[in-house]
Amino acid sequence: METFLAILTVFTQPELLALVGIGTFAGIYIGAIPGLSVTMAVSILISFTFSWDVYPAISLMVGIYMGGVYGGSRTAILLNIPGAPSAIATAMDGYPMAQRGEAGQAIGVTTVMSFFGGLIGILVLALAAPFVSEFALTFQPRDYMLLAVLGILLVGSLSSGSMVKGIFAGALGIAIGAVGRDPLTFTERFTFDFQIMEGGISFIAVMIGMFGVSEALIQLQNVGMKAVRQKIDKIVPSFSTIKTYLPLSLQTSTIGVIIGALPGTGGDIAALMAYDHAKRVTKNPKIPFGKGAMEGLVAPETANNAAVGGAFIPMMTLGIPGDAVTAIMIGALFIHGLNPGPMLMIDQPDMFWFIIGALFTANIFMLIFGLTGIKIFTKIVEMPRSVIIPLILLLSIVGAYAVNNSITDVYWMLGFGVFGYFMRHYGYPLGPVILGVILSRLLDDNWRRAIISEREDLGRFFHGVFTSPLSCVLFVAVILIFVSQTPLWTAIKKRVFAKTS
Amino acid sequence: MDPEFRGDIDHHDGTSDATPGGYREKRRPGELAFALFLTLASLFLLYSAYGISGFEALSAPGAIPMATTLVMAVSAGIVALRTARLQRVTTETLSKDILPVTVIVFIGFLIVFGLALQPLGFVLTAALFLIVAIKVLAKRGWGYTLAVSLGSLVVIWIVFRVVFTVLLPAGILPEAEFIQFFRTLISKGAF
Amino acid sequence: MSRKLIGALVAFGLSASVATAQEYPTKEIQGIIQWGAGGSTDTVMRSVTPHAEAALGGTVVMQNMTGAVGAIALNYVADSKADGYTLLMGAENPMLYKIMGLGDKDYSEFTPINILARGTPILVANNDAPFDDYAGMMAYIRAHPGELKMGATGPGGLPSVITAMMNTVEGEMDVISVPYDGDGPALTALQGGAIDVMPAVLGASIESIRAGAMKPIAIFDVAQNAKLPDVPLVTSANEGYSKYLPWGPFFGVFTPKSTPDDVVAKLSAAYAEGAAHPDFVKLMDDRGFTMMGISGAEANDFLSKWQQGTAWLLQDAGLAKASPEEFGIARP
Repeated sequence: METFLAILTVFTQPELLALVGIGTFAGIYIGAIPGLSVTMAVSILISFTFSWDVYPAISLMVGIYMGGVYGGSRTAILLNIPGAPSAIATAMDGYPMAQRGEAGQAIGVTTVMSFFGGLIGILVLALAAPFVSEFALTFQPRDYMLLAVLGILLVGSLSSGSMVKGIFAGALGIAIGAVGRDPLTFTERFTFDFQIMEGGISFIAVMIGMFGVSEALIQLQNVGMKAVRQKIDKIVPSFSTIKTYLPLSLQTSTIGVIIGALPGTGGDIAALMAYDHAKRVTKNPKIPFGKGAMEGLVAPETANNAAVGGAFIPMMTLGIPGDAVTAIMIGALFIHGLNPGPMLMIDQPDMFWFIIGALFTANIFMLIFGLTGIKIFTKIVEMPRSVIIPLILLLSIVGAYAVNNSITDVYWMLGFGVFGYFMRHYGYPLGPVILGVILSRLLDDNWRRAIISEREDLGRFFHGVFTSPLSCVLFVAVILIFVSQTPLWTAIKKRVFAKTS
Repeated sequence: MDPEFRGDIDHHDGTSDATPGGYREKRRPGELAFALFLTLASLFLLYSAYGISGFEALSAPGAIPMATTLVMAVSAGIVALRTARLQRVTTETLSKDILPVTVIVFIGFLIVFGLALQPLGFVLTAALFLIVAIKVLAKRGWGYTLAVSLGSLVVIWIVFRVVFTVLLPAGILPEAEFIQFFRTLISKGAF
Repeated sequence: MSRKLIGALVAFGLSASVATAQEYPTKEIQGIIQWGAGGSTDTVMRSVTPHAEAALGGTVVMQNMTGAVGAIALNYVADSKADGYTLLMGAENPMLYKIMGLGDKDYSEFTPINILARGTPILVANNDAPFDDYAGMMAYIRAHPGELKMGATGPGGLPSVITAMMNTVEGEMDVISVPYDGDGPALTALQGGAIDVMPAVLGASIESIRAGAMKPIAIFDVAQNAKLPDVPLVTSANEGYSKYLPWGPFFGVFTPKSTPDDVVAKLSAAYAEGAAHPDFVKLMDDRGFTMMGISGAEANDFLSKWQQGTAWLLQDAGLAKASPEEFGIARP
């Protein structure tokens, strides 16, 4: 009981409370600027908070993490440029809303739903961490591979245009992800013997180029157009609105927690999978997906914030990072003299409850700051385009450079920006490219691990798939989703429905 | 919904990713050339992927790249064939709707930016870029242009270089000495 | 005040190269970390550097520069001006770049500022593995060829060297080597049963061993480890290993070769003082690293011996892409 009270530490010490608040506030802005990532901010904080006590340091980091995951949605909605990878799906329906002058409403819903998702993530972390981490550990390479295949099938719902073009874009993304020295054997792939290509292409550079630069170039064609006036009166969504999306948000939060808890997958994949899920289960959206459907905002935003709590599960119970940010936090705990690992829960259970308290507080701050600063944010879109376009381009360049301190990334970013510009004009969807890059390593590495483990024997591989319940479920899901996207399925469905009615 | 439906009637230029550009039954200027370029590029990448490890093993580093580039080549080929059969849009031209002069000029700016970033340093290149870009786009007086561009550059520089200690290329300006100078001043003041 | 101001103005007006050793450092120093945020190298460097900064009286801005097994960062620092304002914070990997065909540079292009510490390899196994000790594992491998799944982290990584050592000492083992991109993910997979055995650095696995989430098989060192006193040494099972041990990955701070001697001396002194800080010593001890803190000729000696031993071990095991002989690496 006494250790459980550590959950209240944050509230009893004003200094910690303030730090969580500052962290969350900073996180929202860091998340909103493409190229400034939470990962980067937290790793800088390690040297910055070096001489501090562990509680204040963790408070600040937790705040930044929570705020940053949420902040990415801001620029996605307002400028069609996701501030962070986890906000890619948010742009799909958020930006069309901003184009209609409903950015305020979109941000309001996003904020409340992020809060809700965050809360579910924290609850699961607090109540079921050991079970979830045990479940996450049972994922074998072949399960990760099936998960990646499942993710790649999202291409169908991410390409609102021609399916073939979507498939091309997805495959292109996987190929982009393979560039550079293969991390398992160090073989050079698609490097054409150029040294600068050995490091591969940074995924953030692709994202900033495809979304940021191509967006700015497209906007150039209507510089003179007057910006849409944003209505900012109805920001806080009504209770009935929230109630309508409650069932969906519960489902997508679950997706978020599980994907977040799996080592190696994070909020970005969770958000895309949740978006796809929403598209499948919502039979009659009020506004179609891609045109500003509320469901298209609710799903990814609950999922990516739920993934925060999820990512802490393996970190707190096993000392295994759930994503890049928790990896750095583990480093930070080490530096502060703690030993993150399975013993942490036993040696220092108050640390666990303290982190839950801090996460909870950060979540509340996120709600407060999210709902209050909207006016200034929406002003960004009302700025003259002649100023905002050069600024977007400059931020894209700085952002791409900042990820890895590499000028090569800037060249890639610019190249993909121009390429993305043409892709947009000719109706090739950009979402699948990013999806492909995100999933490339997951698919490639785990396919190879899985098949190496079976000594290159496909028979043994499928034997493994069918004898493991988890793999079996994933495999069936892959088949079902694949079939549901082919014309054959529509034909069968029509006939079946015709008979029953 | 028709899976082949692309965008809506008002937007043919890919305003957002959810409403991609293009027409359903017509091809835009340059669309066929782009599709052919993608097909050829995919074939080249397929050849390059084969070169990684050939058909050595299912787990070879080249296995997934070969599979994906094959998918790329096939899908790009299908797109090219379909596009070739479509009628050209008569109301659009390459120079007006796809690649207007401003876009070409800005792509040029970006290339110059990329090339000058390392030798000149971030601060100078970015200042030049912002001044020229805002001047070209806003068509306002020099006072406005300089104030807006230099003002925003200072903010960006402080956020990235000072707060986040991103080591942007320093180039010919003695940036690190400059920061150290202020650090010394501040630490002096603290004593 | 005025002397500092004039100094700053002079530096401002002229260029970076006027700084002399008395003045060094007149501006912030870049510390390029070869590996990603949150990894062992990152943690070690970020915890020692603040202490060294205090001793140096300057600022070291640390940046992670990842990619191509660290070769990108190595080349970046090697190509930078040798004025002591760009430091490489790296691990042992560059010593194997040449023979692994990963690059044409290694630490011979650098002056070691301080080789901070060395890790101890340990062999750990999944709790459900059908053996509990080293002899049992070898017996299992012989009885079930091609069944044991052993984690790896790519050519030149710690597991590949340990596996090469085992192959050399015990004769060729028929096991499946499953590659992961780092010992973290591989140890996770070990707990989930995707692999059975993993050679890892002690620090990465010590907490899981203490919690009973995985079982230790043998420590690859010549002296009993104070952190895990009950785990047997591999040399007690097979004397043949003592020829290659002690061996382990290491962390060090480096600067390009032609950096002025007085700058190197200043940096070395600062890092030596930083590494001796009790906080840092405790951190390293907790993580199971052995402090070294060597620099100068001693460090160069250590580096060349390490490189000779490891390079030829990999060459003899048939893992090297190019013979160490081509690069003038003598057989130990």
